[in-house]
Amino acid sequence: MSPDSARSVVVVAELRQGELAPVTWELLACARRIAPAAGLALYAVVLGQAVQEAAGRLAAAGAAVTALQGPGLALYNGQAWREVLAQALPSLRPAIVLAAHTTQGLDFAPGLAVRLGAACLTGVERVAVQDGRLLFGRPAWHSKAVAQYAAAAPLSVLTVQPGAFAAEAPAADQAAGSLEVRPAAPLAGSVRFLGLRRAAEQSADLTQAQVVVAAGRGIGKPENLALVQRLAACFSSAAVAGSRPVCDAGWLDYSRQVGITGATVSPQLYIACGISGARQHTAGMQGAGFIVAISLDPQAAIFNLADLCIVEDLTLFIPAFLAECTSAPA
Amino acid sequence: MKILVCVKQVCEPETAFSFEASRPWLRQPATVRYQMNSFDEYALEGALLLKEGLPGVGLDALSVGPARAATVLQRAQGMGADRAIHILSQDEPEALALATWIAAWARAQDYHLILCGAMSQDAMQGLVGPMLAELLGLPLATSVVKLELRPGQAAIYVERELEGGWRDCLELPLPAVLTIQSGINRPRYPSLSNLLRAKQTKPHTLEATALPAAPARLELVAVDPPQRTRAGRRLEGDIQDKARQLAAILRERALL
Ligand SMILES: Cc1cc2nc3c(=O)[nH]c(=O)nc-3n(C[C@H](O)[C@H](O)[C@H](O)COP(=O)(O)OP(=O)(O)OC[C@H]3O[C@@H](n4cnc5c(N)ncnc54)[C@H](O)[C@@H]3O)c2cc1C
Ligand SMILES: Nc1ncnc2c1ncn2[C@@H]1O[C@H](COP(=O)(O)O)[C@@H](O)[C@H]1O
Repeated sequence: MSPDSARSVVVVAELRQGELAPVTWELLACARRIAPAAGLALYAVVLGQAVQEAAGRLAAAGAAVTALQGPGLALYNGQAWREVLAQALPSLRPAIVLAAHTTQGLDFAPGLAVRLGAACLTGVERVAVQDGRLLFGRPAWHSKAVAQYAAAAPLSVLTVQPGAFAAEAPAADQAAGSLEVRPAAPLAGSVRFLGLRRAAEQSADLTQAQVVVAAGRGIGKPENLALVQRLAACFSSAAVAGSRPVCDAGWLDYSRQVGITGATVSPQLYIACGISGARQHTAGMQGAGFIVAISLDPQAAIFNLADLCIVEDLTLFIPAFLAECTSAPA
Repeated sequence: MKILVCVKQVCEPETAFSFEASRPWLRQPATVRYQMNSFDEYALEGALLLKEGLPGVGLDALSVGPARAATVLQRAQGMGADRAIHILSQDEPEALALATWIAAWARAQDYHLILCGAMSQDAMQGLVGPMLAELLGLPLATSVVKLELRPGQAAIYVERELEGGWRDCLELPLPAVLTIQSGINRPRYPSLSNLLRAKQTKPHTLEATALPAAPARLELVAVDPPQRTRAGRRLEGDIQDKARQLAAILRERALL
């Protein structure tokens, strides 16, 4: 890896309602880890209709920022994002493009990579330099292993898992980066964007409960929800939650779902019953004070972030625990 | 109207892997059970619902994989797919290679709609559908939780699931590629009569090596066990012992 200051790592900022989404700062932290190790310059691009303020904040944190502004970019739109980025990125000579592993990043990044002839990896959680090469790690094989890849192409487009890199406050002596505003006018695409719609409300008792007992696909059938409910009843302030498949099956209401497309909870105690531990779920509960996981699968990924691991059949274990609670009070 | 659904055969999530110090790094047990990627069941059901609502819909299910992938195609036909297409490939190729092969098949078929799952359960990449759309130059919607054909079938209305309970509402001209999110419907079980018929018909089979190849853009350098972020203490003993220990630990921490 020869230091090649002409090449760069480019962060594609993500905005929510015109503001920089928190994950953007995590992308910047990831880029800061990569840039010096690989001898790359650090750039950021911000797309939108009026993004000068957001772009200015990124520049103040030290990135050289290109704001791509135009009326066609008011709301996220995959066709426009791919087109504008494919046009703008080559002039920044990227070796690595970092987007967020969100519904937005996942929507534009793979197609952008194809257009740019780039390698593409999604859900990246680790970066490392080994023998002069950058390695990117992501979960694979049902999240039971971490696969480490090196790019075999001059450019890599990555989506970075939110939460994997901690946002850093800029150093006190951080010099501000440059800010260039470029007009961008994507062609009128064939897809009609009809606006956003709010579909689900979250239930407050779930996010406020001190104990959350969550049922996963491993409960097997809806009848076993009663077991999970009885387990929850052992605690004074407990709510029952579920993983997505349990809600998809209609066994629990979607307002009870924990994860990236459900609620984020941080109770004192989280008990995962029959949940394998996919990132989309654990992102919503990894902040819990104490995590107990019950699964039949000794390799289930949930055990990697649990404080206590119980390899048992929940339909047998929960009754055993209930008997223990009623027969032997403290 | 012709619809293509891409279905992947995955090993069941409970598969016990063992780690090795060198290639292939990860070993599967001798006997592994396989199943249809759960997201693809939703995609297939979505296509079946369209087919039931509209006369003259032809539904193809396609899978890339070794000979064993034929069973996932049988299941797709058992659920109601009309035809099965099997692209035979021995090893697990990169997403771009998969998308390139599927695109090579799809180009000659004039599908109106191509459905993929939002991700594969095992690899969780979310790459094949969006790459396929790009290679075919077709409009794309990812993470679709609602779909409705517009009258005349020149366009489709979809809602994409976003974070925080929001949905993005779009109308795509056909042909288009959609990736389907779980929960959009309730996938049916295969019917016995369909399954029997599927077992008697052979899938249309193509050799991946005879299809255009994509350049390798990634090199798998190592496979590591996942890192622990917490103590991960395993309770030992019989089930009663474990229940007793759990109660004691929770009481000690004033959680119970
Ligand atoms: C864009 C996107 C967003 C998503 N958002 C979310 C989200 O917000 N929340 C969410 O949860 N998921 C979400 N998912 C789905 C996620 O990827 C996983 O598919 C899901 O979390 C798996 O749920 P599970 O662990 O209950 O099921 P599985 O992965 O099937 O795991 C079941 C577990 O139960 C164990 N088990 C089986 N039987 C028993 C038994 N008798 N006793 C004990 N254990 C048993 C198994 O060994 C296994 O470990 C999302 C996916 C996508 C693509
Ligand atoms: N081997 C395969 N054969 C057929 N379709 C596949 C295959 N791999 C992935 N797909 C499709 O692409 C989707 C996303 O997979 P992935 O990009 O691996 O997350 C899956 O839900 C399938 O619809």
